[in-house]
Formats: sequence, C-alpha cells, structure tokens
Amino acid sequence: MSFFNPVFAFVFVPLVVVIYNLFPKKLRAFILLAISLLFFAFISKWLILYLVLSIVSIYMSGIGMQKLEEKKKEVLKTVEKDEKKAVKESYKKKRKFVLVLCIIFNVAFLFMFKYFNFFAVNLNLLMNYFKVGHQITIVKHIAPIGISFYTLEALSYVLDIYYGKIEADKNIFRVALYLAFFPQLLEGPIARYQDTANSLYEGNKVTFESFTWGYQRILYGFAKKLIIADRLNIIVKSVFEDWGRYNGFTIFVGIMSYTIMLYMEFSGTIDIVIGIGEMFGVKVPENFRQPFFAKNVSDFWTRWHISLGLWFKDYIFYPVSLSKSMKSLTGKAKKRLGNHYGPLVSGSVALLCVWLLNGLWHGAGWHYIFFGLYHFFMILMGNIFEPSVAKACEKLKIDRKKKGYRIFQSIKTTLLVFFGELFFRAPSMAVAFAMIARMFDAVSFSMSELMTFGMDSRDYVVLMLGMVGMFIMSVVREKGIDVRENISRKNIWIRWAIYYGLILLLLIFGAYGQGYVPVDPIYADF
Amino acid sequence: MEELIEILEDLQPDVDYETVDDLVDGRYLDSLTILSLISEIEDAFDVEIPTVEIIPANFNSAAKIWELIVRLQEED
Amino acid sequence: MKKALKGIVFVLILCMLVEGISVILLPLDKVKKYGLYKTSAYEIVAEEEDSVDVIFLGDSLVYSSISPMEIWDGYGYTCYDCAQPAQIMPYAYDYLEVAIESQHPKMVFIEANIMFRDPDKLPFYKKIAYRIENYVPIVKYHSNWKKYFTKNKNSWLNVNKGYIYITGVKPSKKDPLNYMDINDENEAYILPENRECFDDMIKLCEENDIKLVLLAVPSQKSWSRSKYNMVKEYAAEKNVDFIDFNIDHDLGIDWSTETKDRGNHLNYWGARKVSDYLGSYMEETGILTDHREDEKYKSWNTAYGIYKNNLKKR
Repeated sequence: MSFFNPVFAFVFVPLVVVIYNLFPKKLRAFILLAISLLFFAFISKWLILYLVLSIVSIYMSGIGMQKLEEKKKEVLKTVEKDEKKAVKESYKKKRKFVLVLCIIFNVAFLFMFKYFNFFAVNLNLLMNYFKVGHQITIVKHIAPIGISFYTLEALSYVLDIYYGKIEADKNIFRVALYLAFFPQLLEGPIARYQDTANSLYEGNKVTFESFTWGYQRILYGFAKKLIIADRLNIIVKSVFEDWGRYNGFTIFVGIMSYTIMLYMEFSGTIDIVIGIGEMFGVKVPENFRQPFFAKNVSDFWTRWHISLGLWFKDYIFYPVSLSKSMKSLTGKAKKRLGNHYGPLVSGSVALLCVWLLNGLWHGAGWHYIFFGLYHFFMILMGNIFEPSVAKACEKLKIDRKKKGYRIFQSIKTTLLVFFGELFFRAPSMAVAFAMIARMFDAVSFSMSELMTFGMDSRDYVVLMLGMVGMFIMSVVREKGIDVRENISRKNIWIRWAIYYGLILLLLIFGAYGQGYVPVDPIYADF
Repeated sequence: MEELIEILEDLQPDVDYETVDDLVDGRYLDSLTILSLISEIEDAFDVEIPTVEIIPANFNSAAKIWELIVRLQEED
Repeated sequence: MKKALKGIVFVLILCMLVEGISVILLPLDKVKKYGLYKTSAYEIVAEEEDSVDVIFLGDSLVYSSISPMEIWDGYGYTCYDCAQPAQIMPYAYDYLEVAIESQHPKMVFIEANIMFRDPDKLPFYKKIAYRIENYVPIVKYHSNWKKYFTKNKNSWLNVNKGYIYITGVKPSKKDPLNYMDINDENEAYILPENRECFDDMIKLCEENDIKLVLLAVPSQKSWSRSKYNMVKEYAAEKNVDFIDFNIDHDLGIDWSTETKDRGNHLNYWGARKVSDYLGSYMEETGILTDHREDEKYKSWNTAYGIYKNNLKKR
C-alpha cells in the first residue's frame, strides 16, 4: 500500500471527504475513526484486533494515572505536612507502575511482531556456537502496518500524562482517533496528543478552500515522487543489485541517488499526509526542513524525520542525560573538563542510547544498528572537535557565518549522510563495506554506465531539472518564505496557470507506466 | 536575571540575550548546551528542572528561562 | 455556489488541456483520421496503410512471447502484436475489425488462452478504466514527449510493433517435463459466448481472405493439458490450424533462464525461439512475401536497426 496509489489519493480521499461532510458535525469524528479503522483492517486484516487492544490499553493507563494523581491531591489535603513527601513518593511509584506496565504491554507487541525473529536467529547462532542443543523456532508472521510509528505515538501519549504535560483524555474515541487517524498510520509523522487530537475530534467541515489547499500539498508530494524518486529508483535498483559490475563513479552516483530518493519518497508521502490533514483542519506536524542544508550531522537530524528525532530527544535523550546519576556526573565532569566537554560525557551516554534505539527502531538487522552507531559516532566526533574547529577557523581567519563556509558545511554533512544511508539500504554490512571499497578501487570518471540502467539522456535531463526545481524550492523555504501562501495571494490567472502547469508536468514527465518501476514505500515497512 | 545572562553568555557568547526570542527554535542552543545550562541553573538557583519542562517554549529567550526559574522556585 | 462553479470551471479547463496534450502525444495525422480514441486504443492504426501482413491477437502472452522484429529479421514478414493485457474475445474481435480498416493482413493468429477467459468476469471498473485510459491517452502515452527531443527523423516509428521487451529473469521452479499436468485443477471449457465470438471471427477472416490460426505459446502457468485437449478438438472441428508449443512442438525453452516470472511469461530469450518458429511456419504456408529488399518497407529496416540498438544498450 502506498499513498501514491492514484486510487488512494484521487478516489478514496475525496470519497472520505464527501462521506465525512454529509454527516453532522457531532458525528464526523466517529465517521473519521470508523474509516481509519476500516483502512487499517483493509491493509492488516485481523491485526486490527491488536490496534483496538493497544488503544484500549493506552486509554486505560492514561485514565489510571490521572485517577492516581487526583487521589494524591485529595490525600495530600488531609495529611500533615511532614507526611506529604511520603505520600507523594508512594503515588509516584504507583503511577510509575501503571506507566511501566503499559509500556511493557505495547513494546512486547512491537517486539513480537518486528524483532522476535532477529533475536531468535542471533540467539540460535550463539547457542550453536556454545553447542547448546536447543533452537528457537523462527515464526513467520506479518506485522500490523506502521506499528513502529504507532507504538512511538502511543507511548508519547502515556509518557506525557506521566510527566504531567497533559491530562488524560476521558474520551476514548478522541484518543483512538488521535492514534489511528488513517493518513498517519503508514509512515507517521509521529504527532503528539496536543498537535492533532482536539482538531481531529472537532469535526470541522472540509471546505472548498481547505480541500483545494490540501490537494496543492498532495500534488507537490506527487511531483517529488513521480518525477524524481521513481527515476532515481532505476539507478538505485541497478547499482545496489549488481554493484560488482560498476565503476567507482557509478557506485557513488547510486549511493547518492539512494539518499535523495529516500528523501523525495518519504517527504513526498508526508506531504500527502499533511495535505489530507489540512483538508480536515488538522495541523499534522512537519517532518522535514531542508535536511541537505544542515551544518552538521546533529543539525541534519533536526531537519530530517523531525518527529522521530524529537521523540527520541524528549523521551530518551533528556530523561537519560538528566537522570540523577547522569546529572551528578555532568556536575563533576564540568568542573574538570569545562563547559563544553563537561556535559559531553553524560550527553554522549544519552546519545548512544538514542542512536542504538533509533537504529533498532528502523528494523531488526545489524546494518540498522550500525546505521545508528554511525550517526552516533559522527555526532560525537562533531561535538568533540567543535572547539578545535572553532579555534582553527579563528586562526585561519575563516568566518563561520559566511555563506561559503555554510555551503561547505552542508556539502560535508550531506556526504556523511549519504554513507550513513548506504548502510541503511545495503542488504548487509558486508555489502555496504564492499561497495565503499569498490568505489575507491574501481576509480573511473566514465559516465557511460549511467546509460545502461534503462534511463535515456532525456530522462536524466528531466531528473536534473526536477532536482534543480526542488533545490530552488528548498532555498526559498530555507529563507522562511511560504511558497503556497505566496501563490494563493496571486490573481486567479497566475494561480491556475501554476496549478495546471504542475498537474501537466506530473502527467507528462512523471516516471510511471511502461519502462518505469515505482519505488516501494520505504518507511511503511518500519 | 543578570546572573542567568552571565551563565548564558558563558555558554554561547554569540547571542544577544536581550532581544533573541528563538534560542531553541533558532538553534542557538543545541541539546548539549542545554544540558550544560540546566546543570548551571540548578547549581546557581538551587532548583530542580524536571524533564517535562525542557520544551522550546521555556527556553526560547532569557526572559522565558527566568520565568521558569522563578516558577520552579515558588513551587518548591 | 460560486465556489462550486469555480471548481467545475477549473476541472473543465484541465480536461481540455489534458485532451489537447494527448493529441500532441500521438501522431497527429492518425488522430485526424481515426480519432483520439482509436489511435490510442489500437496502436496498429499508426502503421503505414496496407503494410502489415500478419496480426497476433491475444493477452500478455502474445506481447511477451512474439517479437515481430525477430520475424522481420529472419523472414521479412511484417507482423504486429495486437495484444492487450488480459484481453477478452470481444476485445480481440474489435481489435481485428479496427485493424482491417487500414490493413489487409493475410494471416491472423489468436493466442488460445483468451478463449478461456470469461468476458463477463472482467470487472466493470476494469472496463471503465480501459475506456478512460483510451479517452485520456496522456496516461498511456506520456513518455511520447521524448519523441520531440530526438535526432531520429522517424520519431513516430513504432519500433517494437506491439512487442514488450523484457530481459529480466525469474526462474521457474516447476518441473519442465510435466507442468501441463499439474495445472489441471478444473476441466477447461470454452464458454458459448467465446465460441460465438470465434465464429464471428472466422466469418470476418473468410470475408477478408485471411488465414486464421490458433496458437498456444509456452507458459507453465497459463496453459494446461485440458486446455490443450479442448482447443485441439475445437480447432479440428472448425478446421483451423492449431500450433501448440507446450506439447506438440518443443522449442527447448530453458525455464531457468527464459522466463520473466517463474514460468508464466517468457522473456526476450524465450520470445526469440517462439518468433523464429512462427516465422518458419509462415514460410511453409507460402502465403507471405519477404519484404526485406522492398523499398516500400524501408521503415521496417530502420525499425529493426533501432530495435537491435536498444537490445545492445541493455
């Protein structure tokens, strides 16, 4: 299932909108929830039971923690001052118990569906090695669609209640709609309760304006996918399938193409999700912010898959680095190592947790774990050498705020990311390393191999023009200009000319139909 | 307040803390600097900043951070 | 109300633009002559009038197994694959009718698999999609924009003549010796509608002096012994030639390298064998003329050159 299926985007979505609008405001949220659950059941069949069960567990845990909090307040009124602390502590423990139970319950599902086989295979290897005469049976099963995204979103809700950031919702339908809203099921973004829950539940009418506004965003997503990603896919497929045949230059082009394709495909999907949200008056959070303009790897991850980065920052990075033991470590380290390197110790420990989990979240495989560690290492290096780089620049009289330096930073970061994503795409770590080796081994600048993938020179021209177009869009957006907003202020002729132009460009230059193979939704497997 | 600005300037000298109101959103303070900042504040003002409070809204300007400190001191 | 009107106007203008662009993505003189729909749905109308001698009707088995250019190279006969994915008998008949408007074929081959497809079982949305696809040719022919950016003067020349070129290999796991017997889950049966349609087709061919031949290309999935028996008997009853490549004529297909999808469709290497055999069959009938040296058929030689070149590139 992909949102780029025209039946989804141009038949299903309008149909949902019509049905939704036909109902009175009060019932619309229920209609949307029903449609979302049907959509899930359509893709994952009987696994809908898992979704319902999980939603109920999340809802109940929220209510449970809320009730404990209220009870605590009542009890606090009755007890003497010196007992207050003990009461607080005991309720905190109870709340924690509910939270942990809920997390275990939901993570257990995730583990069962996604990671069981990975651990089983590796344990079996280990047991073989130590000649233990027992083997775990590998079970073949399918995972519910988007379970990794869903689980993080669900956990963010209970964690926010636990931390007292939000109050538990007493309405199970609102919680369910927030967690199961159909466009977000496949590839996120991982929204927080405050972002979408209320506006989703309001049942705002889809107006002519919101409908067309949403479709503009959807078309933009389609352009990224059909004109650029599906062309890059031809290169990526050939190079990764048969890398031993190509020279170093071609392999580099393949590696580069993969990251750009991933960006176009993933962010294009998110454009569709956000566009659908806009129709219903829901502000789904942005997931990308011109990632290739990042000044370092750490900055990159605040611009790429933003909702995932924020999740790890809020629920892993700060809780770990600000835990009691880490705090005292920071304090001690700071006195010895100064302001920069002091917090780096506990920061790095937290960072390591973040990136191990990040890698593992993407999939059960050693190359994903390596992918995580690679980014951890790059960010760590960046942090360690930051003061020396700053000093060196000062000595060499390089102004780090100048455009030239920024461009250099972006290129450096982007190159580092290309190789990180190589480990992400390659079937195994060995292949990834072999590809890098071959890249430097078979050095050649012959571009003739590029013509052997089934793309002709005209396809390359369209691809390049498409990427230049996207680049210009990124520059404009980096400057903080909202292109869509600007277009909407133009008069009707210019506006319509732009829309017609975009639609026709898509229809003519999209890489669909005979001779092209569309990219499979990459993130939907996670 | 002055003490806070001193701490901030010590950590990240390139910012005019009187005027800037997007310290986090504008990426003047990265997560490591925030770790430093928190430990400095906790030492200097004898408060404990819980993880939940570490959201951009609380750290986007010196004034906001000061508000947070005052609020936490009162809560204690 | 005003907004609804605005929306309608927007969609109307969009439709006009799409149709306008569709026209320039197809050869203009043919659109003028046959209309947008026919030019889009039946590629053969774009061929030079009275130039195609042999027509192949059928489903994907045809356009994956028979390459007219191979036959041209070996024998000099002009053939064309008039195939559609999951074609049904009535569509095949329509295609033949359209084809003989501009061509005088001497032979027509029907891939017999379509006789077992229930025309009523083609879901209605697929029928609608088929219509839309041809009324909005931009979707099917969008890559034709490339024809405006080429040095080649014969940019509108159809090189593959209906054949779809595939080199990918997905080896079959079925036993190459007895696959015809495993597929017989239920007895094959030719529906009365299809028999009627076939009778119409025989009539049409008689009227136009065309030799009709039934054909079963190698396929481990689509073909079976009971289908074979059924067609064999039916062809004898109707006094029509039947060429079968699964039992009667062993082409020595290597099912580990010459299929693109585990034994259902052949790839290019398989198609070469089928095309070559068909060429020799045509030669034996003695009805056709070798056009390779004919000045009038120069474009076929040009097409073959490009075809050959495209093969080399992959």
